[in-house]
Amino acid sequence: MTLDEAAKTLECSVLAGSAEDLRREVRGGYVSDLLSDVMGNADDGCLWVTLQKHDNVVAVAHLKDLAAVVLVGGRRPEPQTLERASAEHVVILGTALSAWEAVGRLHRLGVCGRGNPRGT
Amino acid sequence: MHPKALAHAAAATGLDAVVVCDHNSAENAGALIRAGMREGLAVVAGMEITSAEEVHVVALFPDIDAALRLQRRLYAVLPGENDDEACGMQVVVDEEGEVLAFNRHRLIGATTWDVDRVVSEIRSERGLAVAAHVDREGFGIVGQLGMIPDGLALDAIEVSVRTDLPSARMSFGSGRVILCSSDAHRIDDVGRARTFFLLREISFDEIALALSAAQGRCVLGGGRPMEDLSTHLLDIARNSLEAGATRIDVEVNEDPTSDRLVLEIRDNGRGMDAATAARASDPFFTTRKTRKVGLGLSLLEAAAKAADGSLDLESAPGVGTRVRATFRRNHVDRAPLGDLETTVLVLLADGSDTRIVFGHCVGERRYEVDSHAVVDALGGEAIASPEGIALVREAVRAGEASLRPPSGSPGVDSQTAGR
Repeated sequence: MTLDEAAKTLECSVLAGSAEDLRREVRGGYVSDLLSDVMGNADDGCLWVTLQKHDNVVAVAHLKDLAAVVLVGGRRPEPQTLERASAEHVVILGTALSAWEAVGRLHRLGVCGRGNPRGT
Repeated sequence: MHPKALAHAAAATGLDAVVVCDHNSAENAGALIRAGMREGLAVVAGMEITSAEEVHVVALFPDIDAALRLQRRLYAVLPGENDDEACGMQVVVDEEGEVLAFNRHRLIGATTWDVDRVVSEIRSERGLAVAAHVDREGFGIVGQLGMIPDGLALDAIEVSVRTDLPSARMSFGSGRVILCSSDAHRIDDVGRARTFFLLREISFDEIALALSAAQGRCVLGGGRPMEDLSTHLLDIARNSLEAGATRIDVEVNEDPTSDRLVLEIRDNGRGMDAATAARASDPFFTTRKTRKVGLGLSLLEAAAKAADGSLDLESAPGVGTRVRATFRRNHVDRAPLGDLETTVLVLLADGSDTRIVFGHCVGERRYEVDSHAVVDALGGEAIASPEGIALVREAVRAGEASLRPPSGSPGVDSQTAGR
């Protein structure tokens, strides 16, 4: 699944990221609101589902080379956070869905987490 | 916690000052400030604020009015009501512990302020912002946000009793001001970690100067009296100062080959007679007039015994006192040394007229810091000055580095060897 398709599935607005960025393949998923946990345990190419919208989200996503950040519950970061994300080619998607609903939809379409036999 | 009991416990454990930090509230700060006055304990009004990211930030305020002004704005962004059943009743008390009111706000919750806003709100009241217990995954800024955000105007970071100062410097960088505090939630926790400052007097303004290392004030270091052997050493050497010693020798001797660790403090103070010396390690015996218990020697003895060692004390009136504690160095229960830098800094800053010689030896390697040599090098400047502190700090850091085996060599010196 590409980021473009994931964004449609989750009824997302693209808060940061170019059309080029959105052609990236999604290789799995991770949910956490502890950024230290994401740094330790998320794999590169993952979609990261979170409600944290602090600047450091961009830094962590960039550091771990995640496919995109999915901000749930209608949360919106500050404009300067989005500018920073665009500059770093970190894709940020915003959805009104809850984390549970967002992950459920993705999982049903075969996007799995680490350690799952269906995952890569 | 009962304000009187809390103030008493803090004074009895030897603290000069505490910061009272309820979660998202300062309503009990006034009571503790008044209770502290009776004990000769300085109390700074504070608050532990929860940001929207669930990062805890400790605020220190110049006065109670500033704390209450911020509280008013904070209550407006703190959603929900307290659930007495689940979270317990949130009482507002006076210094006698009489209940004045119940706080209805859900103090356990998070404000809707992000961490940057929390810090700017604190600074708008001329307060100090400290990232709380950064060594905890939950509610610590590093746990919640992965790293300390660039450009966040923190005055200091705080580590809890879980972490000793040397490890904290390694994890969080020596460039930051690190405070060691007990994060006490119960009376028994009070004083379990403490920070040592070099100040003219005890006040908020002086603490603020120390956090920015301005006008000669600074943070000397920190320690955990129940955990760190370096803090025991400091306590006992301070007894030597009180005994009027003009020379104190403090020696830490680690011998990896025989697996022994020996701590020794020798002074030429007024000494004790045999009967007093025999009771010196009794926790309920102290010659101090200001507090009832003198835990220094009894704690050190317990720490030594726990690591297959012992404590012995020799003293003679008019001659001096020698305290010697031995440990099996790699014993599983051997307490960590903690931060010797703090011990040396506080001692040398305190003991201006006393010659203090601190030595640390690991196997064949040894270094020492001699207060006389420091005074000479300073050319008349006091040790308790920015130049003096910097010189001593540098001497201890260089000395400690010289004791470490070159990196990459086998870990015969490591604490885990031989277990």
